[in-house]
Amino acid sequence: MSFQAQQIHRAFGGTQVLEGVSLTVEPGEFVALLGPSGSGKTTLLNIIAGLSIADAGRLVFDGEDITDLPAGKRHFGMVFQNYALFKHMTVAQNISFGLRMLPRSTRPSRREIADRTRAYLEMIELPDLADRYPAQLSGGQKQRVAMARALAIRPRLLLMDEPFSALDAQVRQSLRGSVRALQKQVGVGTVMVTHDRAEALDLADKIAVMDHGRIVQFDTPENLRANPATDSVRALLA
Amino acid sequence: MARRFLIALAVGFLALMVLAPLIAIFHRAFADGAGMYLAAISEPETLAAMRLTVIAALVVLPVNVIFGIAAAWAIARYRFFGRRALLILIEVPFAVSPIVAGLCFLLIYGAYGPVGAALEPYGIQLMFNLTGIVLVSLFVTCPFVMREVLPVLMVSGAEEERAALGLGANGWQIFRHIVLPNISWGLAYGVVLTTARAMGEFGAVSVVSGAIRGETMTLPLQIELLYNDYNATGAFAAATVLTALALVTLVLRGLLDRFGAQRKASI
Repeated sequence: MSFQAQQIHRAFGGTQVLEGVSLTVEPGEFVALLGPSGSGKTTLLNIIAGLSIADAGRLVFDGEDITDLPAGKRHFGMVFQNYALFKHMTVAQNISFGLRMLPRSTRPSRREIADRTRAYLEMIELPDLADRYPAQLSGGQKQRVAMARALAIRPRLLLMDEPFSALDAQVRQSLRGSVRALQKQVGVGTVMVTHDRAEALDLADKIAVMDHGRIVQFDTPENLRANPATDSVRALLA
Repeated sequence: MARRFLIALAVGFLALMVLAPLIAIFHRAFADGAGMYLAAISEPETLAAMRLTVIAALVVLPVNVIFGIAAAWAIARYRFFGRRALLILIEVPFAVSPIVAGLCFLLIYGAYGPVGAALEPYGIQLMFNLTGIVLVSLFVTCPFVMREVLPVLMVSGAEEERAALGLGANGWQIFRHIVLPNISWGLAYGVVLTTARAMGEFGAVSVVSGAIRGETMTLPLQIELLYNDYNATGAFAAATVLTALALVTLVLRGLLDRFGAQRKASI
């Protein structure tokens, strides 16, 4: 169940934002896209999610070409930078949204949806907050609800856009561990966008260092430190 | 001192300019007794005018709700050629005098206008009937829903819509579960304003209605007609009905305000 992006190109207006980016995510692997702002990492994530369209290149999941598959049919879970929780829905309604929107033929029964929602609430250790609204949650709680909502559709791939950037430093540290633990528990391949090298080093199995629309180096944290391909990678990891 | 003066000024002005005329309407309507009042508002012509006014408003409302949401959506979510022009164009009905609007419609859709003349051989007449009244009312009220919905759409929801899309919701589900709840209060205001204006419009409707008694007279036109006929009781009795309709929409708006504020506070 590996995912591949092959030679992805994307331009906005006259500016080339992605210039032939290729990336492989193995099953259960945690990949971080690390780079400064403007390096194209969020654009790449949006293309993988299907929220943006590549000018050229292919996306392949498990041998299937999903380049032209609409976002909703990809079955990828997405955690947005500001979580994008549904304001007017409770925590439980947020988490169950993906299940409730399934066509009748494949939708689980009401009871099963409720059971699964409760299971995810317990997984994120917020079993008592089912009936709260997003505005009544702390930043860390919102982040975990966003995570549960993405995982509840049993995604084939989990995508996270700067999932810790809206949190203060202390919460950020403690949530890192729980995000990694959740991801391991579910065993879903994950792509996380970040500009924070400590975050990438701490969480990722592999890091794709991005700069000016290209992946400069794609390797494990250990190898990146041992053999940085360029001075910029060396500087980034120093 | 200054405070008292300001309050007195505000209250005095409103009393003279708003409250006194309102009371006068009801006072004059009942001046000849409740029996005369009841007789006046149950006149067949007046009843026909009420019916026409309500029917026209009921046709105008859904059309403008659909158009208003569609236009607001397009302007809020997409960048396209002519977007700014659309924004300005939609304000035109606010700026143009309604009577001018009525004349413009007559020029185009009347029997001697290009569209009216083209349709005439088929026996289709657009002006001087319900169609004409609906058309100009649409023109006059088309900015309301869009103006109320657009700001709400601009500040909220784009990310939520993307999230819903990624979770597998289709276009209709996104609209039903994400967009509609987000815009509901703006939409409700737009509906109230559109209804009030559609029922109260005089200038534009007077040009295209054709003024056939008991057939193409809306309530505002009927009121003027009765008044010009020296039927003051009839005119003021009909006016109380129109005023009551307007007050109902105002009360609805007030309730929405209160309920909306509470809802927001509780979330």
